Amino acid sequence: MPGRTRPVEKLAKASAQCSVEVAAYGKCVVADYNSVHKDMCAKEFMRLKNCYLAASKKG
Amino acid sequence: MHYTATMLSLQTFRASLLRKSFTPTITIRQYASQTPGNPMLEVFNRKVKHLQKDRAARNVEESRKVDYLKDEVAMRLCERLLDIKRDFPNVLDLGANSCNIARAITSPDLDSSMPEGVITPPLSKKISKLTCVETSHALLHRDDNEPFNKEVDIQRDVIPDLETLPYAPNSFDAVLSSLSIHWINDLPALLAQVNTILKPDAPFIAAMFGGDTLYELRGSLQLADMERRGGVSPHVSPLADVKDVGSLLGRAGLKMLTVDVEDIVVEFPDTFALMKDLQAMGESNAIMNRDMAPLSRDVLLANEAIYRSLHMQDGDRGIPATFRLIFMIGWKEGEGQSQPLQRGSGDINLKDVLEGGDFNKP
Repeated sequence: MPGRTRPVEKLAKASAQCSVEVAAYGKCVVADYNSVHKDMCAKEFMRLKNCYLAASKKG
Repeated sequence: MHYTATMLSLQTFRASLLRKSFTPTITIRQYASQTPGNPMLEVFNRKVKHLQKDRAARNVEESRKVDYLKDEVAMRLCERLLDIKRDFPNVLDLGANSCNIARAITSPDLDSSMPEGVITPPLSKKISKLTCVETSHALLHRDDNEPFNKEVDIQRDVIPDLETLPYAPNSFDAVLSSLSIHWINDLPALLAQVNTILKPDAPFIAAMFGGDTLYELRGSLQLADMERRGGVSPHVSPLADVKDVGSLLGRAGLKMLTVDVEDIVVEFPDTFALMKDLQAMGESNAIMNRDMAPLSRDVLLANEAIYRSLHMQDGDRGIPATFRLIFMIGWKEGEGQSQPLQRGSGDINLKDVLEGGDFNKP
């Protein structure tokens, strides 16, 4: 639909601006991917999300 | 759930039978425990799949843009048809999507084994009539007015359910199917029907997604789900494995089977683009009892990060997504058909024919 960005496009655009946080969170989960449990990387994820929220406000 | 219920009732039923037939004068009869209407395990939600395809096709522009995979597979499938030196007056395209096979057979220069510059005539010269059957009206009729429609006689049939084919026995000279039958719940039953509608000594050639397709996405979504929500829900539909396909075809009564596997790795800028394309293809998850809510933003973000760190090669700009294609060929039994020789009856070593069986030699 023209004139309307789909949520997934917004996600892609904003997360592309957070490559450092994306890498940090990914590294944290993958480091021990045989025993992943809930909120194992909560700290890294919050950083990623904060960055994402800031980026999506800007764009 | 259903299974345990029927098992229980069957056992109690059997027990009461045994008790009644304990008088020595009555001979014990054997009961076939087949319930009426062959019980079927439903894996995929057919209604959901139909809606996904219909919705995807209604966005014509997007839907055409993501036809790259289906067109490529249709081409590779039709190349296999080139190997059969024969004319096919009447061909069925089972699960036609947007008639990708019709597009492939009308394109010239299909034969990639020919040297460059040699133009081979399109396959449609050998095919007089192509019947395309599909459940989604919007998808099947999407390209009604494209030029390829004029080059081959296409009949488009929309049927409510791909698992029940409305065709007479012995009516087709070949049945083709490209990227469709991985959504079939009861594959053995469908293949048996295919065997019936084929003329004797006619081939069934199909391509479907199999086993390791999208294993990257499957794995990283699981990890993202675990870390964010503390549990796993199936987001990628299960697929048949290569090693099962041979026995499936054999069980349907098809002969001289050939099964081979090809991987196509597509590079996407990010996981969001991959998932968007899958959706536009109408190939999203359609498993029964799936989580009806869309993936949460948190899980999507986590998935993007995990996918990248697991599968992105250093120096690459995008992420790889593997599509594993299973190609299968089976022939309906017919008179005068060549038969495979008995195992162990060969007296020429294949190593000598192909030369240089020793792979360690330079």
